[in-house]
Amino acid sequence: MLKVKNLNAAYKDLQVLWDVAFEVKQGELVVLLGANGAGKTTTLNAISGLVASRTGTIEFLGQDIINLPGHKIAQMGITHVPEGRRLFPEMSVRENLEIGSLMPEAKAKRQETIKKVYELFPILAEKRNQDAGKLSGGQQQMLAIGRGLMALPKLLIMDEPSLGLAPVLVSQIFDIVKEINKQGVTVLLVEQNVVRTLGMCDRAYVLDNGRMTISGTGSELLNDEHIKEAYLGI
Amino acid sequence: MELLSQTIICGILLGGMYALIAIGMTLIMGVMNIVNLAHGALVMVGMYVTYVCAQEFGVDPYLGMFVAMLVLFFLGCLIQKFMINRLVEVESILPENQVLLTVGIMLVLTEGIRLIFKSDYRSVVTSYSSDTLYFSGMAISVPMLTGFFIAMLFTFLLHLFLTRTDLGKSIRATAQDRDAAVYMGINASKITMITFGLGAALAAAGGSLLLPLFYLWPDIGHLFTAKSFIITILGGLGSTGGAIVGGLILGIAESLGATYISMGYKDVVGLVIFLLVLLFLPGGVRSLVKRWQA
Repeated sequence: MLKVKNLNAAYKDLQVLWDVAFEVKQGELVVLLGANGAGKTTTLNAISGLVASRTGTIEFLGQDIINLPGHKIAQMGITHVPEGRRLFPEMSVRENLEIGSLMPEAKAKRQETIKKVYELFPILAEKRNQDAGKLSGGQQQMLAIGRGLMALPKLLIMDEPSLGLAPVLVSQIFDIVKEINKQGVTVLLVEQNVVRTLGMCDRAYVLDNGRMTISGTGSELLNDEHIKEAYLGI
Repeated sequence: MELLSQTIICGILLGGMYALIAIGMTLIMGVMNIVNLAHGALVMVGMYVTYVCAQEFGVDPYLGMFVAMLVLFFLGCLIQKFMINRLVEVESILPENQVLLTVGIMLVLTEGIRLIFKSDYRSVVTSYSSDTLYFSGMAISVPMLTGFFIAMLFTFLLHLFLTRTDLGKSIRATAQDRDAAVYMGINASKITMITFGLGAALAAAGGSLLLPLFYLWPDIGHLFTAKSFIITILGGLGSTGGAIVGGLILGIAESLGATYISMGYKDVVGLVIFLLVLLFLPGGVRSLVKRWQA
């Protein structure tokens, strides 16, 4: 579904990604791991078209999207749940969800999808008229994921959905990510929570200083000596 | 007592029309993150369009207003797309340069109009220009009353547009987080262009409503830039409701100043309030409300 080859990306004169290559197949849950500053978020932003200078190929459903502007990429079915949630703080919960479904197909099913999102996150139904900026961190993350689902994405990209959440909530968010994937949405996930994500993903890639170093299935990586040493501290 | 209430009512009516112009400015400021110093010039151009419609083709100013809104919508879109947006795309240029560019646009518009119409004072006279309603001892001008209600109607329609339609929500989303809007599949550059056009159209509407009340000359734009600036600061940046409150405060203050100090000091009163607000209430009326809620 998504094939990335020779991806190089830079902010002004600083090159962040070097020949990154990976693949996400239909229906998979793929995890991108790496230390802070390894280039995970940059990789995701390059896919979504928000990094201005990028070269290589990013093939989505057979079409090269590397030169498309960000909104076109979103319209093709790649939905990005960004790091730090990036909700519209002065719009209500409901409006945030509505704005997630602007494309014709998603718009046609708007009411239906909103209902599903409310079932997934009952707290959002309760706070539907509150401003997004006034929600707690966990609720904001739920809204960000819900807003992403509103687009009926073919590929859902999630950037550290567990960031800054209490352990109980983290677990809950991961269950939901798994559930979303089970319902047929292809997921590309960036996470710091290595053990938990390797346990639930189909395949994983490790980014190190802007280069892809290790890849394999979740269990392969869980038993990898380097991973154990660098990320699990065993 | 009647003088005072008449003055205040007159101020409210005037303020409603000012508010419409300022709402156009807030709208642009929200999405572009820049102060549009050409806003008053857009008001002025809108007034000239309405003036030409009335003078050359005998179109009533309240109908000419729609022509002016259409013309200014396209003018605003063009300015944003081919001038301001080009500066946004070039990273090496400071954001301040966009503001400087709006000053340039203001000068070109003002001098362009002067080239065509000279600096003469002009006014539109209609059959109802001097009509007055008498109401328990108070005299209220009909064009003022009409202007106020049309301005409030437009404000209400804009509110509906921004809260009920997808395009309106996209405008608000782009103003609140441009990158996140792109994640939603919103074409942010197109939205910015439409918003600029809409802001310019509201400026034209406000100007046209004031046309029966003001003399028109090319430099009148500066007056409106100052007024919208004062109102936006008073009401708190980027808030439609705030712009209405700010507009009413400015209208009433000017009206009181004109009645009790001198007609000639009317604009000074507004500027003094502006300075006082900047010094003592930099967040505008909105921050007062927040403080009171907390």
